[in-house]
Amino acid sequence: MIQEEKKNDSREWTELNMGPQHPSTHGVLRLKIKLDGETVKEVEPIIGYLHRNAEKICELDYYCDSLIYFDRMDYVAAMNMEVGYLEAAEKLLGIPPPERAKWIRVIMAELSRIAAHLVWAGAFGLDLGMLSPFFYCFVQREKILRIFTEISGSRQETNYMSIGGVYQDINENIIYMIDEFTKEFPDKLEEIFNAFVKNDIFMSRNKGIGILEPEVAINYGVTGPMLRASGIEYDVRKAEPYLVYDQLNFDIPVSYKKDNLARFLVRFEEMRQSVRIIKQAIKKIPDGPYFNPKAKKSLMIRLRGEGEVYARTESPKGEFGVYLVGDGGVKPYRVRVRSPSLKNLSVIRHLGKDVLIADLIAISGTIDLVFGEVDR
Amino acid sequence: MDVLTRLAHFFAPLTHYIAYILAYLFESIFLVIFVTIVLVFMIYLFRKYMARVQLRIGPNRVGKFGMLQLMADGLKLAGKESILPKGRDDLPFRIAPLIVFIGLVMSFALLPYGDFYWIGSLTITHSNVSVILLFAAIAIMPIGEILAGVSSRNKYAILGALRGVAKDVSFEVPMMISVLALVMMASARTAEPLNLSDLVSSQIIPFGIPEVIGLLVFFISMIARASYSPFDMGESDSELVSGHSTEYSGMRFGMFYMGLFGSIFLSSMMVSLLYLGGYNGPFSSDAGFIFLLIKTVILVLVAFTVWLSVPRIRIDRFVNMGWKYLLPISIINLIIAGIITLGVGL
Amino acid sequence: MIEVKEPKKELPLVGTLKAMWIVGKHIFQKPVTTQYPEEKKPMPDRFRFRIFLSLDDCVGCTLCEQVCPNLSIHMNKVERENPRNKRKIYPDVNFGTCTVCRNCEEICPTDAIYLTHVFETSRTRNSFTYSPDELSLSEDEVIK
Repeated sequence: MIQEEKKNDSREWTELNMGPQHPSTHGVLRLKIKLDGETVKEVEPIIGYLHRNAEKICELDYYCDSLIYFDRMDYVAAMNMEVGYLEAAEKLLGIPPPERAKWIRVIMAELSRIAAHLVWAGAFGLDLGMLSPFFYCFVQREKILRIFTEISGSRQETNYMSIGGVYQDINENIIYMIDEFTKEFPDKLEEIFNAFVKNDIFMSRNKGIGILEPEVAINYGVTGPMLRASGIEYDVRKAEPYLVYDQLNFDIPVSYKKDNLARFLVRFEEMRQSVRIIKQAIKKIPDGPYFNPKAKKSLMIRLRGEGEVYARTESPKGEFGVYLVGDGGVKPYRVRVRSPSLKNLSVIRHLGKDVLIADLIAISGTIDLVFGEVDR
Repeated sequence: MDVLTRLAHFFAPLTHYIAYILAYLFESIFLVIFVTIVLVFMIYLFRKYMARVQLRIGPNRVGKFGMLQLMADGLKLAGKESILPKGRDDLPFRIAPLIVFIGLVMSFALLPYGDFYWIGSLTITHSNVSVILLFAAIAIMPIGEILAGVSSRNKYAILGALRGVAKDVSFEVPMMISVLALVMMASARTAEPLNLSDLVSSQIIPFGIPEVIGLLVFFISMIARASYSPFDMGESDSELVSGHSTEYSGMRFGMFYMGLFGSIFLSSMMVSLLYLGGYNGPFSSDAGFIFLLIKTVILVLVAFTVWLSVPRIRIDRFVNMGWKYLLPISIINLIIAGIITLGVGL
Repeated sequence: MIEVKEPKKELPLVGTLKAMWIVGKHIFQKPVTTQYPEEKKPMPDRFRFRIFLSLDDCVGCTLCEQVCPNLSIHMNKVERENPRNKRKIYPDVNFGTCTVCRNCEEICPTDAIYLTHVFETSRTRNSFTYSPDELSLSEDEVIK
């Protein structure tokens, strides 16, 4: 009886800080954990170390300028962020992009999704102590970034899309590069995949660890691959198609195993589906203008919008929502972002209870955190 | 004719005792030089191998092919301020790196190295019980790591040290039992099976062929001893920053670093001595040292590949593995060795 | 909607050896590193960094100052004879805060301000700001 009381007494627990300058945490996450021996009793994520006030700055700028701040939210998947913002901004300003621009955006968003998942896979390997697959992931990602440089002029924070279309048209050379990439990438992806899953230790570290029940996931607002790995078939691209996703043929991977391994497998399957989407889109891409002339040249800063708009898109991390309010001026009245990483991070309080430290690291690895987006 | 006798002959004009004292002194200096060269070579090899496996180039700026990179790194470490944490336990904190390094050098002193052309036998210590001495010397190094962890007053370091203790306890029993099987097999051929030189020389075919299970157990134990991935829970960089050496900096950290690479080389050398025939080779017996080095370097490359490709195992699973799988397997291996020794007379 | 399958279960240790082989065989591949200052990969056509200003074309409309999201561009008074630029104001650029968003190039009505391929513009602290005259010179001629 006395022993039991002592066990539950939190004063007996060791308090340990992980981060914000800890080699395991992604970016600047700080985890305040309470340990009973090696077992984690309580986790408290502390955020805000990368807060840059992006939403407020967006309100002080023209509609066309906000794009660069969205690039820097989820900096590993900048194209997806741009798509998310433009879905909202174009609805508010009433400037629909032409057909060709929509298809280009789909291709770029899917390439960016692959790049983001590759970063995640490599970092997850490092979390578990695998030093090499990280580099194989980044070699493949570098090819995508090369395509981005070819098309937009920048590697990572591309600022490629703009209100009413895209910055510049894609040409033969870029189509050829993307073609080559989709041809050779699936084999390389299988190689990376095998380097992970053939390992017995990798499987034992992930199978049955970090089980996230679907009810809990819904209550915490978890979206994206984490939700789909818990067995809920929800993807904005299918549930509420934006751009031209309704004309494309692809599947949404789902797993009912709910553990770390399920999240790993769902993300790898998503990469394969993205390759499938790119292959279709590159064939179907129509001719025509790539830019709506309503938003060209000096008209860029004279766009006025009134009303309120909420647009949601599927970013690599989950459902990315942008809420815009315009008061008829050239600058938005209110900008608000629903960032998937923040919602996904909140579930770590639940997942990190009564697990070992090593498992906590693996679980926080599968959440796929990018701190530009959590803190904004 | 070995190195010691040659040196003693060289100093013979002095009296007998002084000659031998000088000979031992010089031999120790040679040993430390050898260990240093091995460490420099190991770290260079690791960095180059890791770079090439990860599709990089590796160090190539300092000197030709980056050969002098290690000199630069060493100078950097030596020139750095050694930061001492505030709440430390002073004496253990200061001597812990030295214990690790001395344990490493002592283990190298006890290994038989075989012949090398005109120099003759390179073996330094001759003892009837060098197997026991060797494993005793190897067991010194964890003490330094535990002292470092406990004395630096850092939660990460203490957790790392605790993990280190749990790890050491669970792999050392199977390791010793699999060595015991070797001693048993060697006892059929030599009068002094506990003498490492005799143990190695009595391998007509390498012990690794009849003793495959023992080789596996011993190799796993040696990975755990050197504590690199997959068994680096004691200093796992993604969980405990760097475990017991978290608070160390400058040359003290450098000693832990050298201890890690030195023990990889040491463990590879021990596997090649005990299980792969050591300095026994197909052609001239004069080149025993060369054979030993070739076998060791191949094993080192295997070890690096394991390090670079396998994720870290969880500590509770490793303890489980040690007691529930490695221990029974090593006992089965012991029985097999007994059957082979008695029945086949290999 | 497809359910992902768990990969085929390998024998213990055999799978690990296979994974080790997958990693280990990369030693036979060529490294992908570019040794930067010695060898330079050709830059793509659209790659841009350094902003260039054509003083004769600039009409001093301040659109670039307005559109710059980071307030990197400020208008400066420069004594220079240009019939199209009556107010005699020209932009200067602070490259320390420039994010290369290309909005200024996009919006410029006379294409006076545009971005070039040059990107090796390392500077010491507090000397990132290029005056209009410096912007109109090539990188080699700008001595800071």
